[in-house]
Amino acid sequence: MEKQLKELQQLLEQLWPEVRRRHLFPEIPPPRFDSNNSTVAMEMRNKQIILNPEYVRTMSRTLPANAVLEALLDHGISHYTCCPWDLSTHLRFYARAKEILGEGDLARKATDLFMDVVADTHAVKERQSSLPLLYKSGIRTELEEIICSLYERIWGVDLGCSKEDETVSRLATIPYLDKGRWMASLSRFIRGIRPHLEESASHIADEHTRMGKHGFQQYAPEDIEQALREFAVEADSPEQFADIFEDLQSQLQEVDGDVDEGMGHGAGSPVDANRLYYMKLAENYALPLRRKDMKGSGHLHPHSHRPWEVCQPFQDLDPWCSFGKYLPGITQIWQRKEGQIYGRKEKTPSCLVIIDSSGSMVDPRTHLSYAVLGGGCAADTYLRHDAEVAVYNFSDALAGGKEYLPFTRSRSLIYRVLCRYFGGGTALDLDEITGVAETSEADIFLITDMQITNLDQTISRLSRLRNRVTAVHVGKKSGALRFVKASVKNKNISVFGVNSSNDIPRIVLGSARNYLAPE
Amino acid sequence: MENGKYRHTVRRLYDFIQSNLYFTRPDIHLGGERFNSTLLFTLITALTGGKALIMGEPGLGKTTAAEYVGSLVYQLPVGTVWASEVSGHPEQTEEKIIGRPDLGKLNRGQEEVVWSYFVQLPVKIVDEINRLPETKQSMILDGVDRGNWEYLNEMVLNAEYCLFATANYQDQGTNTIIAPLLDRFDILVESRYPGPSYAFMISQKQEKEKLLRHPELESKLQEGLKKQQALREKESHLTAISNEFAAHLKESLQLDTLDRSSRKEVRQEISAMELDQDANAYTRMLLAELSFCDRHGQKRSNEVCEEGCHYTGYLCHRLRNCASNRLPVSLANYAKALAWFTEASSVGIEQMRAVGPYCLAHRAQWTDTHLSLLEKDRRNDPLQIHLARQATNEVFQRYSEQAEHVKAALATAYRIFRGESLEPVAGDHPIYFEIRKDLNLEG
Amino acid sequence: MFNPFEDFKDFLSKTRGLPLDRLAAAHDQIIGELTGGYGKLVEQELKSLVWFVEHNRVIEAYKTASEVIRDIDYDAHSIEDFCYALDSGADIPYLISGPAGIYVAALCNHTPEDQIVLRLGEMQRTLHFLGYRLPYGKSLRLEGDAGNFTGSALQGGEISITGSTGDWTGAGMTDGKVTINQHCGRNTGEWMQGGEIWVGGRIRGLGRMTAGCIYQGGEAVAGDALR
Repeated sequence: MEKQLKELQQLLEQLWPEVRRRHLFPEIPPPRFDSNNSTVAMEMRNKQIILNPEYVRTMSRTLPANAVLEALLDHGISHYTCCPWDLSTHLRFYARAKEILGEGDLARKATDLFMDVVADTHAVKERQSSLPLLYKSGIRTELEEIICSLYERIWGVDLGCSKEDETVSRLATIPYLDKGRWMASLSRFIRGIRPHLEESASHIADEHTRMGKHGFQQYAPEDIEQALREFAVEADSPEQFADIFEDLQSQLQEVDGDVDEGMGHGAGSPVDANRLYYMKLAENYALPLRRKDMKGSGHLHPHSHRPWEVCQPFQDLDPWCSFGKYLPGITQIWQRKEGQIYGRKEKTPSCLVIIDSSGSMVDPRTHLSYAVLGGGCAADTYLRHDAEVAVYNFSDALAGGKEYLPFTRSRSLIYRVLCRYFGGGTALDLDEITGVAETSEADIFLITDMQITNLDQTISRLSRLRNRVTAVHVGKKSGALRFVKASVKNKNISVFGVNSSNDIPRIVLGSARNYLAPE
Repeated sequence: MENGKYRHTVRRLYDFIQSNLYFTRPDIHLGGERFNSTLLFTLITALTGGKALIMGEPGLGKTTAAEYVGSLVYQLPVGTVWASEVSGHPEQTEEKIIGRPDLGKLNRGQEEVVWSYFVQLPVKIVDEINRLPETKQSMILDGVDRGNWEYLNEMVLNAEYCLFATANYQDQGTNTIIAPLLDRFDILVESRYPGPSYAFMISQKQEKEKLLRHPELESKLQEGLKKQQALREKESHLTAISNEFAAHLKESLQLDTLDRSSRKEVRQEISAMELDQDANAYTRMLLAELSFCDRHGQKRSNEVCEEGCHYTGYLCHRLRNCASNRLPVSLANYAKALAWFTEASSVGIEQMRAVGPYCLAHRAQWTDTHLSLLEKDRRNDPLQIHLARQATNEVFQRYSEQAEHVKAALATAYRIFRGESLEPVAGDHPIYFEIRKDLNLEG
Repeated sequence: MFNPFEDFKDFLSKTRGLPLDRLAAAHDQIIGELTGGYGKLVEQELKSLVWFVEHNRVIEAYKTASEVIRDIDYDAHSIEDFCYALDSGADIPYLISGPAGIYVAALCNHTPEDQIVLRLGEMQRTLHFLGYRLPYGKSLRLEGDAGNFTGSALQGGEISITGSTGDWTGAGMTDGKVTINQHCGRNTGEWMQGGEIWVGGRIRGLGRMTAGCIYQGGEAVAGDALR
């Protein structure tokens, strides 16, 4: 047994360079064997292909071992170089499949099958793969029979399939290799394969094909953050993001149980999908800022040397570097330069984000809340500028409907409070807010629909503050107009309205840019 | 030496430096082996006569790597290499960098230039180049570009040379290296923290540079360099001393090195390496993305990429500047050298992908939005190299999907260019539009 | 003159031509032709700004639809894909449920296959007139919901709907069978002259029928069976 494994390992090492060459040298680690007591041929973990020696041995009875290995490597590499290529694409597929099929396990199977068809077809078309030989041999499950019939039809090879049914006809016209149409193709694929998937779900476990399942654990940790950031933009709602994220998280935890750190959370804290959604979404609106403003000192100082020319004044000559000569081209003159000093010690102020989570505002758990997104963008901007952020989340604050997070640099805590939803009435505890604002001299970001019971007092108290206030009103409710009119005279208050999806981040960042990154 | 022997010698040099002088972790895979990018690219720079910018934290061996490599490749005791280094600070003058008048003769009314060691020796190291004023940076890079150095009315020509410049990460005390100057560097590498284990090993080998010292020969070289005669006349004398040092290395370290003619042959061998069609087409695709603008004809740093452009998915949307003509030259030279070093039969896409991030990192000016989006990414490389690696990987993905289509488009273009009446191959990538432009078919 | 593509003069493609290339291209072409046909119908029908459901107008639209698809070689799967293309609005600028449904009905009636399955469950909008004039010998299975006038003027065909239908289901049908797993709307069976409508769930309102029979939950609720 040991000897056989050694021989297989040697063969694998011999074949690997050639397979890599055919696939244009993908940057993945060399494959290895690992007996996993499963019937599937391979799996991928952290970009590495792990082959099942048992499967290779079994298949080698009817096929040359090198053909089996090459076919398996082609399959694995094509997943890496063609479809899905990255976790972002994989998540997008999975989300679409789950939207159609409703159930996570079915969605995963459908996604895996689709990715298999694309990757295999790519390998056969572009990389002269021996995959057809592999698919021709061995015992097939019902689903595999359909997929093999499909391959027979679309690859034009004899795989010894007898199945010639309506499903295969449906699937055979899908443009699998057209990346731009993958999402539409996946939907078509699922429509075609759905009855068989549902039928097989009852009696076949995870290993629905010999190629096994393609879990999310195949990706490197650095892929996860990027994928989540991209998926946050594409998700239809926070609920969909949370749903998909929880599936992703459970699969990753199955492997090593340590995904928190890569997702922007402190180790050990449970990942709140809703909070993560807004954190990742806000990252897409990141604003680059200059850290500290430099300005000219108004004084010139000798900076560097250059050769003296006759027309230039004598007072800047540097005799020490001129060999005691006054000769053009030899004598050196000081080049003066204005000094750079830090501008007035203007530390970036902290920010108090006041967010309305009353009943008239959108519940951030079910729908995209522009208020939370806007608050998140503002908080991120200040955090990136080394400032601190406090959050005051309120509905009817006077009746206890509020949560106050003191100034902190913990992004996770900030988003936890931003995402909290109270519902109910809307009133601000003005004494508390103005107290915080006056003692901290922080900038204030107020995000609300302006349906505040004590709006007049709010306007009056805010206008008396020396802090800079950015007020963002969501929608066009009557209070908004009153607020706008009342704040016209006050230079410390800027008011912005938001009526469509992308307005809030833009407005918030626009104000932040004015404050923090002066041109 | 017969063909292949040089490879062996250079490989031995790499292994020797890695095992005895410059302790680092390997960070790139190539031809089934793992190498350290800083050491490998520094070695290639010395061999091919390139220009490398080595960045890193203070004390992490930026200059040291260049000194060891320069000493071994050019058979110079490391003390001589130290003596020729230019250190970057604002008060640095042309006289200290290039040459000065012979003061005795000047007092007698005669003009004669005493050339600096920096100008005379083939290994040119500028420490902390970003602390030099731009005029001095430019002066050095101009000299290295052309291989000739001028002072007063005299000129020195270098037959072979290489440049290593080091730079700390930018802080308030440093100047920036302006984009046109950065572009002249072939490659950007980072000298990284080697990890606690290697760092500990460094502490155990504190006198490692003694391996490459030879005070007697260093004095001889100094005497030779000081002689007031034309560089060409000195050369045979300097070469003889170098050969002595080579013999010393062979004797004391059992280490073969390359003499001048061997280095010349190595360069010829490298230069003769051919790019295969994948490397060729991939590079064209990369260059197309780095220079294409649908609206304005090409990327220009003073023009803004519009939102809603069909090509927002490509690199051109994230870039502010256009790829210079020096980029493909650096890519080809370094990829050829890598292929030669790893004993590949030709330059393939593997070598081109390996050098891509390092040739592009300092040349690409990304948009603020792109920078802020990716700066917090989990990564191993400094941001510039990370962004360039992401970019070259993305282009590789696109190439991988349509490799045969792109090559077919280029092959068809060849036939159309020859006058055949064919329709150019179409596709959704800037390369297809650039091909049409080359064929004068745009619009 | 220097040829910048010289390096590729000897290029030989290693790409293997697969039947998939042909199959996918042929399918795209069919969808393109079906889209073109729909465009012609809409052009004809949109001479006035609003499309009213009038008997003559429906007949006229069906006639036009039948003419424009006459030379198109398509199959039942193409019909379903065309429905999704309509729904996505990516290649077809406007979906007008009336003409679109009549067009799809014409496609079903003229396809050579006798058994047609349309899985329309993921469509954002529903189409009216599905199964209009479905002739003897043809069966149409609709997975998902259908709009108004489903199975109207049915001519002997069999329609089964896994979801619900809108108003005027089976209006004016002369023969055949409509099976609705869930609910149907008002005026169900209006002007019905024969055939059967089987409804699994709720019927919001029955129409005035001449002949035929309507069943709800397996029991006759209107028509010949009650006489």
